[in-house]
Amino acid sequence: MKILAFDTSNKPLSVAVVVDGKVLAHTESTEKKTHSISILPDIKEALKKSDLTIADIDLIAVAKGPGSYTGVRIAVTVAKTLADTLSKNLVGVSSLQLLAADGDQEHILIPLMDARNDNAFAGVYKAVGNKLENVIEDQHTSMEKLFELLKNYDENSLEFINATPRLQELIQNQFPNAKVITTENSLPDAAKLAKLAETIKPVEDVDDFIPTYLRLTQAEHDWYAKGHKDDGNVSYVEEV
Amino acid sequence: MEKDTLIMSFESSCDETSVAIIKNGKEILSNIIATQIKSHQRFGGVVPEVASRHHVEEVTKCINLALDEAKVGYEDLDAVAVTYGPGLVGSLLIGIMAAKTVAFAHNLPLIKVNHLAGHIYSANFVTELQYPFMALLVSGGHTELVLVTAPGEFHTLGDTRDDAVGEAYDKIGRVLGINYPAGKKVDQMAAIGNDTFDFPRAMVKEDNLDFSFSGLKSAFINRVHHADQIDEELNKDDLAASFQGAVLDILVNKTFKALKQHPVKQLIVAGGVSANQGLRQRLAAEMKKRNMDMELVFPPLRLCGDNAAMIGAMAQIQYDKKDFADLDLNADPSLDFDME
Repeated sequence: MKILAFDTSNKPLSVAVVVDGKVLAHTESTEKKTHSISILPDIKEALKKSDLTIADIDLIAVAKGPGSYTGVRIAVTVAKTLADTLSKNLVGVSSLQLLAADGDQEHILIPLMDARNDNAFAGVYKAVGNKLENVIEDQHTSMEKLFELLKNYDENSLEFINATPRLQELIQNQFPNAKVITTENSLPDAAKLAKLAETIKPVEDVDDFIPTYLRLTQAEHDWYAKGHKDDGNVSYVEEV
Repeated sequence: MEKDTLIMSFESSCDETSVAIIKNGKEILSNIIATQIKSHQRFGGVVPEVASRHHVEEVTKCINLALDEAKVGYEDLDAVAVTYGPGLVGSLLIGIMAAKTVAFAHNLPLIKVNHLAGHIYSANFVTELQYPFMALLVSGGHTELVLVTAPGEFHTLGDTRDDAVGEAYDKIGRVLGINYPAGKKVDQMAAIGNDTFDFPRAMVKEDNLDFSFSGLKSAFINRVHHADQIDEELNKDDLAASFQGAVLDILVNKTFKALKQHPVKQLIVAGGVSANQGLRQRLAAEMKKRNMDMELVFPPLRLCGDNAAMIGAMAQIQYDKKDFADLDLNADPSLDFDME
């Protein structure tokens, strides 16, 4: 199986080509170049290095979020358009699960994305055999609530991944003995994304594949908070 | 006979996701437009993050519908074109990423198109363009007079100093209790009412070709608020007619000033506000009054708002010049023409 995998859900941009479990090309950049500029040239380069063309690829794997809204949209748009236009299989992998793949698989893994104001996108993962099992589903949560969800675990078994300095401070106050991997040391790796993708079923309808934001937009949140409800008959987008 | 050129074009600069297949820059084989108006009406205007999310939901559906309707496949295409600005950056990026991906996947040249140029070239579907021609570009984001001296050669003669004309319509529409986009309803009310409020016509006495609508908008809003405070009932149709009367006076004044300075054979009116019936009638009447030997061109209503067909029309000119973009193309949210 020939897999093209890429992730832009955070600051790093990672692209990999993995063929039958073997990593043929692998680029990771933390340069401050915009993902929208780099992603296609990087994909082109990775294929060239692998001596493959895009037509040779069997499966497109993409980190589908949560993460930076714009960042996730860039990778998801490229992935779904590639899959659609070339009739390829497409697999979306949680961006948090991808971070967990980088952790010490003996630990309970808690990948994080700082969502400001002591909130985070977080999930809880555990390695079972060669699979990463999702124990507590990905969510947008306050750190306080996250700690509550984790209180029954032995804190020595916990490993928090991708913590910003502020999240690290909160974690160390709560669980002084937990392991914390900081953001600089948590680089999502598209080669691991490709391997995770092999364990996940391809999406059935590429058209309907969208990022996993885990949060409503502020405007929608406010609109529902005012008591508005969706009218089941109204489609918000229509062809004219 | 020369070979036909087929271009797949993308437009996603604001709240419409659109993909078109255009033949030789002149013939629309398909022009799929998915509009998000109903979504943004919940919030009284376009919310950028909501718009970006909808674009991702729609983009591949639009691609497939465009191919189906045109009855062509990727192997028939000669190039892929996309709006890269101006517009909302998050929205622009979806069209750009999708277009770059299609170009890359099928090894097709990529063409980056200025949204404003696209609006102007919507006229290419209506008439044979004769250079130089004048374009009055009126929309929710722009109000410009542009002299087009040769294919793809744009010179902005005048621009708005504050609000775009369509934006002013939406803002006064809100005061009248009309949801975005308010232009069509205000235009209908204006046709019934009379210009009785005598709102200011900004900058009409100045020699430049620039526009200003914020003073007019403020005068309108102040008049309505004042009436509310003293419980005075104002005729809404007359308010609409007075607002539109002022808008049209400003647009006509500057447009004919520009035409006097730059005699041309054609005046193209483009952009969302070019659908305004009051504007269409007024410009025609003014031209007749002045006995001008000039063709007045409005795009059909479907091509007044944002659409990918117009992007394909402009892209053909760039295709002929081999003006191609690379896969590192990025959005340019504040892209504009060069000022004269």
